[in-house]
Amino acid sequence: MNVILQCPVVETGVPALSRKRPLVLSPFLGQTPLAHALSGLSGEGAKRICLQAGEKTSEVLRAVGAGEAWGLKISGPDERDFGDARRFVLDHLPQAPGIPLWTSYSVWFDAQMELLERLARQRVGMRELRPGVFVGLRTRIAPDARLTGPLWIGDNVFIGPTAVVGPHVVVEDDSYLDDDCEVVESIVGPGTYAGSFTELRRSFAWGRELLHLDTGSLTVVHDRFLLSDAVAPKFSLTRLWKQWRQRLPIP
Amino acid sequence: MKLHHSQGLLLVTGLQELNAANAATVRDGIRGAVTPEVTGVDIDLSKTRFVDSSGLGALIAIHKLMLARGGHVRVLNPIHAVEQVFEVTRLNRLFEVVKL
Repeated sequence: MNVILQCPVVETGVPALSRKRPLVLSPFLGQTPLAHALSGLSGEGAKRICLQAGEKTSEVLRAVGAGEAWGLKISGPDERDFGDARRFVLDHLPQAPGIPLWTSYSVWFDAQMELLERLARQRVGMRELRPGVFVGLRTRIAPDARLTGPLWIGDNVFIGPTAVVGPHVVVEDDSYLDDDCEVVESIVGPGTYAGSFTELRRSFAWGRELLHLDTGSLTVVHDRFLLSDAVAPKFSLTRLWKQWRQRLPIP
Repeated sequence: MKLHHSQGLLLVTGLQELNAANAATVRDGIRGAVTPEVTGVDIDLSKTRFVDSSGLGALIAIHKLMLARGGHVRVLNPIHAVEQVFEVTRLNRLFEVVKL
């Protein structure tokens, strides 16, 4: 089966999700909506995919490569060889036709909650600590952290002492929730640090950006001890200075 | 920053931002204006676009001052972005946030 996969790049209902990368490459339960869609299409018997994402096509194609990870052959955006192909618009996942993705932030959040358990059970290495609480590989959780399902905790996550996480929470890979942090009905994006005593409710925190799911209000938090990237920046003046200092004959 | 006294209430308006650059000035200005007759401080944040931890520190200092005097501090009409900063730091539990 051949499929022409049309990827929305920016949706008016969720403009903030496409600030950092194309919408279909935003975080969604451990992967991206595009990766989940390709898994679903592969499961339905698709062999060749013509991927179309407007002006972002080359960026999206770079992210998925030639499709080997899904057993697919992905090309695009030329659809001349796809005459009788099925057309699929990525405003929902093939695995869940009745669940829209991009109508609004709360719809996007609800879609993740709806699919959380189903996708967690399909993910390699994810285990169910207790009913509704799914935890990925190499994740460390303090013994006195309070976890309440439904809850998705990705790979390489750290959850500090007396943190309160859940219900209705997704903590994406490589994130760090510090001591006494409280996260309820929210999504913590990949590689995000949430500091001690911070509280996230009905929010999507990704790096320093904090989005309220109900109002759509987006704010950049300037205090890194509250919210920031968990990963050290690739370019840092301090690091550069240290490297130079080692080379210079300064006592 | 503008300060108005009215029937034991100190109204603070005209704050464009509340950050490390002006937090000490704002804190000291309000402290200086809190006379013995003042029982409450209302801080209008409707024009405030940006608040950071230094600004929050100034607000906490004013809160502590008024608490010691048996008074109160209210935050009026913060925009969504500022309200989010209050929520993430849990200061919405400490301050009375009023939306008119």
